[in-house]
Amino acid sequence: MSQGLQLPEELLNEIEYILNHLAEKARTDTILLADISGQLISIQGIMEEGTPAIVAALAAGDVAAMAELSTRIGESDPHGSFFHEGETKSIYLHNIAGSFILIVIFRTETPIGLVRLFAKRAVEQLHPLTKKFEEVMGPPKSYNPDDFTKGITQELEDTFPDD
Amino acid sequence: MFINWKLREINLKIVYYGPSLSGKTTSLEYIHSRTNPERRGELISLKTREDRTLYFDYMQFQMGEISGLTPRFNIYTVPGQVYYRGTRKLVLKGVDGLVFVADSQIQRLQENIDAIKDLNEDLVELGFDPNLVPLVLQCNKRDLPGIMPVPSLKHELGLNGIPTFESIALDGIGVLDGLKSIVNAVVIKARGNISPNPG
Repeated sequence: MSQGLQLPEELLNEIEYILNHLAEKARTDTILLADISGQLISIQGIMEEGTPAIVAALAAGDVAAMAELSTRIGESDPHGSFFHEGETKSIYLHNIAGSFILIVIFRTETPIGLVRLFAKRAVEQLHPLTKKFEEVMGPPKSYNPDDFTKGITQELEDTFPDD
Repeated sequence: MFINWKLREINLKIVYYGPSLSGKTTSLEYIHSRTNPERRGELISLKTREDRTLYFDYMQFQMGEISGLTPRFNIYTVPGQVYYRGTRKLVLKGVDGLVFVADSQIQRLQENIDAIKDLNEDLVELGFDPNLVPLVLQCNKRDLPGIMPVPSLKHELGLNGIPTFESIALDGIGVLDGLKSIVNAVVIKARGNISPNPG
């Protein structure tokens, strides 16, 4: 994980297929897949611009805290799932092998049992795919990484315009 | 670092680390206030009732496309208080670059030293080589009396040779210089990690 992840389009398509299937079967609003450091990997459903990244970052904090709590009460496998029940929307978080997080947001009318059932199946399908994430994969053949550092100065000026 | 080749986005994580009350959150608040509103996300702060950082502060900003990739920077601060070490460690997961915010006051030297020691230990435990993670030193509170000369502070922290910026975070002085320095270092390192296509 320290070297980072580079995911090709084909693998992301497979992930999206699984997330879409889960959304359809469990009647959820939004599903996100993030890595344990809080980086957003994929999203199914619509959220306001910028919000998915925040949700992923906060979920990573929550999962880490829950894993630590589990350990403190003597649980040997802290890689479980938990959910927050809200008034109109609830959140279900599933820690995938200690490396990734499935985040499911759904309306409270949707039975939690339904979400749990299909989320568990999705995790079983995602687990072998996430193992592939650990392999660092290269960019498409058309991409020349030598050009990447060019233009950073101009972009910094545009991002912090009044400095 | 996470590269999504479908969306052509590169996500990079920068963490502001340092002892309690050294100015990490103030620095991030200033950065957020000065970031082009079209390129920044919301600033999220998880604070205690006493207005101290509990989990972390977080913001994201993105740049325009650079050579076919859109960089998105996820900026975190850690809670500085000693008993939040577990939280600091989780925030460091997947870090691409670090800004160490030191409190320049002489009486805070030991806290700075303890924080840099914790940082190195946490990085090792997370599988990093601390010498290979881009790092910038931000010597904060330069306007206060009783501050250490920068060379002495760097020496005490074992950070000779690290890019260093003097700052007064409350006024924003030096904060963006430090950020730009770490962004450059992180981008250069990320380029090295975009490995050639094996296929």
